[in-house]
Order: sequence, then C-alpha cells, then structure tokens
Amino acid sequence: MIKITDLEKFYRTEEVETIALNKLSIEVKRGEFVAIMGPSGCGKSTLLNILGMLDDPDGGSYVFNGVEVAHFNERKRADLRKHNIGFVFQSFNLIDELTVFENVELPLIYTGVPSSERVKRVEEVLDKMQIMHSRNHYPQHLSGGQQQRVAIARAVVNKPKLILADEPTGNLDSSNGNDVMELLTDLNEHGTTIIMVTHSEHDARYSHRIIRLLDGQTVMENIMI
Amino acid sequence: MIRNYIKTAFRNLWRNKAFSVINIVGLSVGLACCMLIFLYTMDEVSYDRFHEKKESIYHLTADMKGPDGHVNKSSSTGMMPGPAFKQQIPEITDFVRVQSADFTVKRGNEVFDQDALYADDNFFSVFSFPLIQGNPRTALKDMRSIVLSEEVAEKYFGKQDPVGKVLELKVNDKFQPFTVSAVTKKSPQNSSIKIKMLLPMKFNQSLNNDTQWLNFFLNTFFTVKPGADIKAVEAKLANVFNHQAADQIKEAADKYGLKDKISYGLQPLLQMHTSTDYPADNGLTDASSPIYTYILTGIALFILLIACINFINLTVARSLKRAKEIGIRKVVGGQRRQLIAQFLGESLILSFIAFVLGIVLVQLALPFFNTLANKSLAFSYLLSVKLVAGYVMIFLVTSLLAGFYPALVLSGFNPVQSLYNRQQYAGKNYLSKGLVVLQFTLATFLIISTITIYSQFNYLMHFDLGYNDKNVVSIAAFGIDKQKLPLFKTELLKDPSIKNVSADQGGRWGTLAHVNNAQQIQFDMKHIDQDYLSLFEVPVVKGRNFSKDMVSDSARSVLVNESFVKQAGWKNPVGQVVDFFYNKKKYTVIGIVKDYHFLSLTEKTPPQLYSMNPQYPYGNIFIKIKDSNKAETLNHIEKTFKSLFPYKPYQYTFKDAQNAQQYDKESKWKQIVTFGALLTIFISCIGLFGLATLSSERRKKEIGIRKVLGASVEGIVRKLSADFLKLVVLSAVIAAPAAWWAMHKWLENYPYRIGINVWIFLFAAVLVLFIALATVSFQAIKAAISNPVNSLRSE
Repeated sequence: MIKITDLEKFYRTEEVETIALNKLSIEVKRGEFVAIMGPSGCGKSTLLNILGMLDDPDGGSYVFNGVEVAHFNERKRADLRKHNIGFVFQSFNLIDELTVFENVELPLIYTGVPSSERVKRVEEVLDKMQIMHSRNHYPQHLSGGQQQRVAIARAVVNKPKLILADEPTGNLDSSNGNDVMELLTDLNEHGTTIIMVTHSEHDARYSHRIIRLLDGQTVMENIMI
Repeated sequence: MIRNYIKTAFRNLWRNKAFSVINIVGLSVGLACCMLIFLYTMDEVSYDRFHEKKESIYHLTADMKGPDGHVNKSSSTGMMPGPAFKQQIPEITDFVRVQSADFTVKRGNEVFDQDALYADDNFFSVFSFPLIQGNPRTALKDMRSIVLSEEVAEKYFGKQDPVGKVLELKVNDKFQPFTVSAVTKKSPQNSSIKIKMLLPMKFNQSLNNDTQWLNFFLNTFFTVKPGADIKAVEAKLANVFNHQAADQIKEAADKYGLKDKISYGLQPLLQMHTSTDYPADNGLTDASSPIYTYILTGIALFILLIACINFINLTVARSLKRAKEIGIRKVVGGQRRQLIAQFLGESLILSFIAFVLGIVLVQLALPFFNTLANKSLAFSYLLSVKLVAGYVMIFLVTSLLAGFYPALVLSGFNPVQSLYNRQQYAGKNYLSKGLVVLQFTLATFLIISTITIYSQFNYLMHFDLGYNDKNVVSIAAFGIDKQKLPLFKTELLKDPSIKNVSADQGGRWGTLAHVNNAQQIQFDMKHIDQDYLSLFEVPVVKGRNFSKDMVSDSARSVLVNESFVKQAGWKNPVGQVVDFFYNKKKYTVIGIVKDYHFLSLTEKTPPQLYSMNPQYPYGNIFIKIKDSNKAETLNHIEKTFKSLFPYKPYQYTFKDAQNAQQYDKESKWKQIVTFGALLTIFISCIGLFGLATLSSERRKKEIGIRKVLGASVEGIVRKLSADFLKLVVLSAVIAAPAAWWAMHKWLENYPYRIGINVWIFLFAAVLVLFIALATVSFQAIKAAISNPVNSLRSE
C-alpha cells in the first residue's frame, strides 16, 4: 500500500540545516499495523506527516496505492488524503467551536457526503465508539479519553484505508490508553492499515511490526509474534 | 457545508466577544458613514429629475468676458432672451422665466413676509409640479391670479378651500387683491424650484417692462427639441443676441465704457444643482458645491477604511488562535479554496451584522447629519432600486476589503506547523504595522485639521472688525415709508435704554465712477444717514462726517473709506471729486472713513463710498441699545415699530448674531471635521486596544519569564507600549506635512487667517500619543501585574 524509497526531508533556518529524514525506505502492506519508534527528533513525526501528505519530501519517492505522490500539489494531496487517510493525534486536535457530532461530521462534509447519509454514518461511528451520549457536547467538556474517542471517530468516519496515529495515547492515563489501543486494533482487524508513532513499548506491542528510527534512518525492524 | 461555516462563524463571534464588538462597532460606524454619504450623493444627483421633460429642459446662462480675459459667469439672464430666442430659433420649443420676489401679505389684520416667484403662464406645462386644485394651463393666465403651495395655502387659509379666495399683496406701497387660482403639492425635497407662491410674470412686466438685454436678474429656461445639436443652438443664440441687442451694446459701450463680450450658453437642467459656475440662484434654491460631497465622501471612506483595517489586523493577529482549527480542517480534507470561502463567509456574516446595525445608526444619525450637511434627507423619498443596490455594493465591498487578506493568510497556514504549535505570528508584521500607521496618520491628519479649523474660526469670530456690532438691533425695513423714519427715531430715543438709531440701504451695491478726471474705479456703495458711523463707532480719520445741518451733504457730498483713497491714489482726499459719469452727477469727498470689515472676513475690504442721497430707500434700521433691560427695550422697539409701520412685518436680529451667521459654513466645516476626527480616532483606538490585547496574550510567557528574572512592572509596561507608540509617532510624522499642505490650501480661501503654528502639530501629536498610550497601557499594565506563575504554567 505504501512504498517509500530514499525519502529525504531537510529543515532549514538561516544558519543551520537539519536532516529530518535521511534516504529512508519503508514499505507497508495493506492491513498491516506498524509502530514507529525512536527518540525525540529522530524524524518520526516528519515521516508520519509525509505519509499523511500534510508535508512534502525534499527527495525520494513515495508511492501510495501504486501512485507516485511525492510531487503532488496541495489540491491533489488534499483530495487523496480526504478519501484515504484518517489522522489521530496525541493532542486530539478537535475544533473547540464544534460539538462532538460536528467534529466527527467534518470529513464527510469535505468529501461531499449528503446530509442524511452524514447523520447516519456519524451516529453509527459515535455508537461504535460509545460516545453517542456526548454528541452535543463541546470537546472542552469531555475527558481526555473521550476526546480521543471523538478524534478516532472522526478519523474513521470516512472509512479510510489508512489511519496515521501520532502518539495516540500520549495524553491519556493507562486505562484510557488501553481502550484507545483496543479500538485501533479492532479497526485493524476489520481491514484498516494503521501506522502509529509511539514512545510506548506497551502500545507498540499491539502492532505487527515495529520500525525503529534514529537520525532519520531505520535502525531496526521487529516483527511482533 | 455552508451551515457548518455559519455555525463556526457565529460560535467564533460569540466566543471572542471583545473582538466581535470592536469589529462590529467599527464597521457599523464606517458603514453608516458611507451609507449616509451615499444617501447624500443620491439626493444630490436626484435633484430636478422628477420633471417629465427633464432631458429637454435647459437653463440659459451668460458669460461676460472682460478685456483682461476674465470671464464673469452668470446663471441669471434678463426679460429679453426668452421670447427673442424662442421666436428666432426653431429648435427652441418653449421658454419659461422665473424670478424671485418678496411680498408683504395681508390677511385680515395680520401681515406676513412671503417669498414668491414670478413665472410665465406656461410654467406648469414645462415643469412637472402637480396641482391639488386648479387648472395647470390657466392657473397663471390671469394677471391677478396667484398659485400657492399646499403648506402656504394652509398658513393663510387653514382648512378652508383657498381657491377663489383673495390675498392682499403690497405692491407699490399699496395692498392689492390677488385671487388664488390653484394649489400645488408641496414641492419635492430635491427640487431647485421650490414653490411657495407663484405670480404671473405678466404682472411683473406690467409694473416694470424691462426691455434691456444687459440686465441679468432672473432665470430663463428653454425646452429644446429632442436630438437638437446644443452647440449649434448656442451659436444661434449668439447670432440672435448680437443682432437684436446691437444698439444696446453700443449704447452701453459709449455711455458706461462697457467692454465685456457677452455670450449665452445652455446648461442642462439636471446639471444645475451641483454647478459651481452657474449655480441655482435668484429664487432657485439649494445650490450645492460638489466640494462638500468630496470632503464628506473622503471622511466617510477614511472611517470605513480604518474599520476595515481593524478587522484585517485583528483577524490576522488572532490567527494563531485559529491555527489549530485550520490545521484540522486541512487534515480532514478541507482545501484551501474551501477555507478561503469559510473565512470570507465569516467576514460576510460579521459585516452583515455591522451593516444591519449601520442602517439603524443611519436612521438615528440622520437628523443630526441633516443639520450638519444642510439637508433634509430621508429614506422615504430616496428609497429606490439604485439606493438598495448601492447599499448592497457598499456591504459587499466592505466584506471583501476586510475579509480577503485575512482569508488568504489564514488559509495558507501549513497544517503540520499549526498542529504542532510551530506556527509563528507571521514574520515582522510589516503589513499590520503599516496599517496601524495608516490609521493613525489619518486620525492625526484629521485632528490637526480640526485644531486648525477651530483656531481659524475662533480667529474670525474674535477679529477686530473695526466697528462695534454689540447690542445693535437690526430691523428689516425694506419698503417702509421713509418719511416716518425721523419720527421713529425720535420716539425711540425717548427711551433712555436706546443710545442711537440709524439706517442704511441694506444689501450690497457696487458701481463705478471716474476719479482724477477719467480714471475709472469700481467700488461698493452704501447709502446711510448721518448717525450710521457714530452708531457703529467707526472713526472718520480725515475731514468730517455727514451732518443733517448741512443741506448740501445729501445732494453733493460723499464719504469714502481708506481703501477707496488708496485705489484712487489720492494724497489729499478731502475735496476730491467722484464723477458718476453715466448719470452726469458729481460728488465731493468730505471725509475719509477708517476701513472696517463690513463684509464677511472671507473677503478683503473693498473700496467703499457712502452717500446720504435721499432718493434711495432704506433696507435696515439699526438701534444701539444699552446692555441692561434688553427684553424691555426690545419690547418697546417692537411696539413703536408696529404703531408707526402697521403693515410691515416686524423682524429683528442682533447685528453681532448676523455677523456670526456669515460663518455658518465655517461652523459646519468645523463640526463635520470634528466628527470625522472623533470617529477616526475612536475606531483607530479600539483597533489598537484589540491589537494590544492580543500582543500581551501572545507575549504572556515572555512577560512571565522576564518577571521571574526580575523585570519591574514599569519596565514591562514600557516595553509592551513602546512598540505601538513608535508607530503612532511615525504616523504623526507622516501626517504633519500632509495636514500642513491641506490646511495651507484651505486657509488660502481666507484673506484674514491664522498662521499654521508648530504648536498645532505638537499638540495634535501629543494628543494622539496620549490617547494611544492610554489605550495600550491598559493592556500592558494588566499583563505586567499578572502572576508569572500562571502564565508559565499555562505554557
């Protein structure tokens, strides 16, 4: 599903150039659950952003579903993203001005799903995430665990093929964290490919494979049994 | 999707109440100003458009070109051109002459002053003034008929049917009966011709049939065939004039030394109202100068621009807070154009709220604006598709102006940076700073203008006129029996509260004469009596004043002022001769009057000559009274006047109030610019307040760290305020030369004017700086005294 080859990304300021990704090559197959680990600044989040087409690489190739997307413009990337990829962040990133229902509905609006269909699908996913009772609440009135459920609900409402999760349990206590990991595992078992950046060995154990990065390069891959 | 946008927009507005209020207040004031000006302009261009034949009606104008090339432009013409041009030029289908008149009207035992117009009897077939009663074709046919407007009819006849009733009008010192033949509807607000009372022009001609081409005292209108070539018609006017007036031109050249070349022109009726060359005059009303429109428009646009700048600056400065939302929307599939649409939608919603509020403000401000702009604007008669379209345009342009740039900036945020809190408040913010400078430049400019206009106004009001206008009652005396004046004087002077009584001819009269044998000079001429100069405390610097004991004074003597002497070049003025060569009369100068400012100070004192010739009527009676018991004295004057002149309406003013009234225009300017300045500084300051709030919020952590490291509250306040104050100082520096130039130009209109002093600029700069400091330091102090622990923990 994903194949990156010799991917490069630099960050430049006036004085220094930092290499975030250094000729990185990774392949992820459909239905896989991959964890990316590594110390701070090793390029995990940069990799995730490029995979999610939020950022573009400075060099190398990125083939998504058989299509070379490394040099897509913003509009094409946005188009590809909204139909194929869901995001889950450490800090939830819900829009404070929208209710739970409206936050989850947002991706459907941008993909042009008709209103009645949207209500049906949002209710379905809220039910699945067990947050139906909070549908009219604003994010700031929910606990961290509930907020992350909303974020996951939003990530999956469009039935994406790929979910990118950036430390999804980082802001949660262990009980809420485990719930979130169960949810992701469940999604994976129903066919969604998941790539998750994490610091937590515990969380990484939910994945099929761990890719360890250091200074923008792969240093080790563990296959989980 | 639109519902989602609207929802977010409203929730955003609600959650950030302070910014919403700043933006809505600013924009609604700016929009209201623009809507008022639009209303004003609509009214200006709507003048005289209600006439059915508006496109084919032309106003006859005359140019008098002197040998020096100077052209005197006149919107008045005489009795002759109308019939002569119609008869000779086939393109001209009809003519109507309209002349102003004043009458004393008697109804029962009461007398009234009444403005009126003489008009030819086809008046109603050329102009579209609907009649409530009477026949438009015959209303002015009868020599003794009068047409009244509905409000004047009600004044004289109350609820009675006026048609067929008689009003007595004073003509040649006798009250004569006239029969009301028709009643018109009240003339539209936007009409140059305002009918109160109409009399047949034929009647005017029966009193004085003026066959002189070279007299200019009434308005002539023509209807011209559709499609006629106006240039060609104007050429024909010249031919007819040169042919028919040839003898009169020659006579004037021989007798009066007339060298001017006269030519006629046709001014489209629809251009008359705003014409500065040929203004609506001589009984026509509301002549308007477009400069008013320009300045009002300028100020309104200033205010709207400043409000839009607030919106732009605050939205961009607040963008950090919305960065996360933008990031999320992009991550879940929102495209840039969708985000632009969303942000534009938000500015549209905000502008719409401001727009609705603006309309309410317009309604509330209309009475005040009307006094300021000398108008009687109302939605009722100006409401039209054009007006609504204009308002919608103002609204849309404002929303775009305010919303476009922020939409562009915000939608361009990189989602990665915004979601990972790496978004920086855009660069060095040159644009935002530039806009703040622009706002305060405009505000400072208007403040400098306001102070200059105030100073000049004050200067004019306290100018030493060279005569004493205090405690002088002026009574309108035109048409009184002048034989009774000495008796009136004697009666009044019996009252010890009355110090002096005099009279003059009233109005302003100019003429020309020869001095030093054949040197021709032009001057103002005033007919006075022997007490005039002493009443006004004007000194006679050489020779002597008129005396009633010297019989020859009224027949052969004149006084002249210093400017006259200068113009004539006399070393020994007393005893010199002024030769009124055209009526072969010679007068001897018996005294020199010190120059005094008998005109408005917008004009230099011209040469003036005073005569006591008894052939002239009196126009004003002046009564100098004591400062005490004014009410009783005025009462006494009124009683005495009414007993001696029972059929003359009693009307009085104080001379100093009359003089102050000459500066109505300046007074209006003063108010307009003051309001402009107040609104601009207010809107600029609420914007600055918003920016200061955001800045201290953004620098919360920095302030916390500084305090932890030992910075003092004063130090932090200074640091936070300094950034903004630098911009304000820069604005003052930019505004000063611009304001100097504009005020210099404005003051050039006044021969007597203040110098533009440095202190005006300093005062304006200090004032703006102080206001800005007060605005900014409130936030700075709040930020500086907050507990650093809170700000650091929240990070």
